[in-house]
Amino acid sequence: MISCHPTQEMLEKFANGELPATLAAAVSIHAEMCSECKAQIAAYTEQQAESGFNGVSSHASSANVNDEDVFAGIDIDDLIAAITATDEIDIALEDKEKTITVKGKEYVLPRALTNMTMSNWSSIGKLARSRVELGEGEIRASLLQIQPGGSVPEHTHKGFELTLLLDGSFEDDMGVYGPGDFIVLDGKHTHNPVSHEGCLCYTVSNDAQHFTQGINKLLNPFGSFIY
Amino acid sequence: MGQTVTSSLQSGAKAPKTIAMKENTEHQALADWLQAVANERSKAAFTHLFKFFAPKIQRIAASKYGNETLASEVVQETMSNVWRKAHLFNPDKGSPTTWVYTVMRNVSFDLLRKIKTKKEDNLSDDFWPLVESSEAEDADSQFQDHLASKEVMRCIDTLPEEQKCVVKGFYFMEMSQEQLAQHLGIPLGTVKSRLRLALAKLKQQIGGEK
Repeated sequence: MISCHPTQEMLEKFANGELPATLAAAVSIHAEMCSECKAQIAAYTEQQAESGFNGVSSHASSANVNDEDVFAGIDIDDLIAAITATDEIDIALEDKEKTITVKGKEYVLPRALTNMTMSNWSSIGKLARSRVELGEGEIRASLLQIQPGGSVPEHTHKGFELTLLLDGSFEDDMGVYGPGDFIVLDGKHTHNPVSHEGCLCYTVSNDAQHFTQGINKLLNPFGSFIY
Repeated sequence: MGQTVTSSLQSGAKAPKTIAMKENTEHQALADWLQAVANERSKAAFTHLFKFFAPKIQRIAASKYGNETLASEVVQETMSNVWRKAHLFNPDKGSPTTWVYTVMRNVSFDLLRKIKTKKEDNLSDDFWPLVESSEAEDADSQFQDHLASKEVMRCIDTLPEEQKCVVKGFYFMEMSQEQLAQHLGIPLGTVKSRLRLALAKLKQQIGGEK
């Protein structure tokens, strides 16, 4: 049972194509696992389409004038001829499954991640991480694997941190999470995720983590390692 | 699900009945044109679609991105995807306007990403697949019918009538393309293009071999 979902605002922005790729990927993966959010996204998409395409045409006469104005000076027939000159059609084959193996464990990648470039895996203790190269500056995405019994030292976030659990489970002082859980934390939260059975997460953050306890303060420079 | 959204939108409209009726007939015409593009590669139908959607897309994109040139690019890309992907439109799954909207949304996302991050990775179809992944039930039935003949027959049955005729004649009655053309009283070229479209569609539905 998935207990953490994206906010309505996020779902709506996703439906409109307004999220950065790092976050759009996360919402897309979540929606594949969560029929409620999927239905909600479909509803937002439909609303947008209605207001975009039908909304304008309901101002009947003025819209008709505009329709012609918009393309004044452009030869529509030429455009149409150029587009229809090719007889090719796009065959969208269903995606072949792509798997990755991390520390001897195999995972099926969600479709949203299948065409992304990922760095080599690097690891510290029971944590292993691969960066997903999406080129969105300070917003960075990674895959993070926690091996059974592993944990991320207690930390807060200077910016926001999104953890989408893909496989396995982990828990922190706020609860236990399973596949599909979409957990967003910001600077107000402190947490110390522990995974007993091990897990794989897709994470997005816009700033390094800030470690808060004892020896782990030394780890601070490594905050950017993990997320 | 599509049903409930449409009806809730319509009930919120000022003059629900007339608007609903106008939308229904409009949607029907748009859906017919999309199918004519898909099945017959009809340029006339595409011209109707272009005249309906292009100005609206131009206006939506221009107001969203504040840039007429970018908006024209969105129009061109979207409409050429409509031409090349019309066979992916499924009237049972949603309205034609929603479908074209999703094509536009995907095109815009990839275009903007290219501008902002210089990446041409075209991720949109991975995030918002235009084709739904197969149902979970497929996993169970996968090995019971290893030649997938039931599945193939089911897919053939979903083809438009004229494509169905050609596929059945060619593959099951082993008629040649020339015989089919004569039998159906249509030009040989039409037989060929119907076969090609039908096969593309089947490949699409069945998944094909990589």
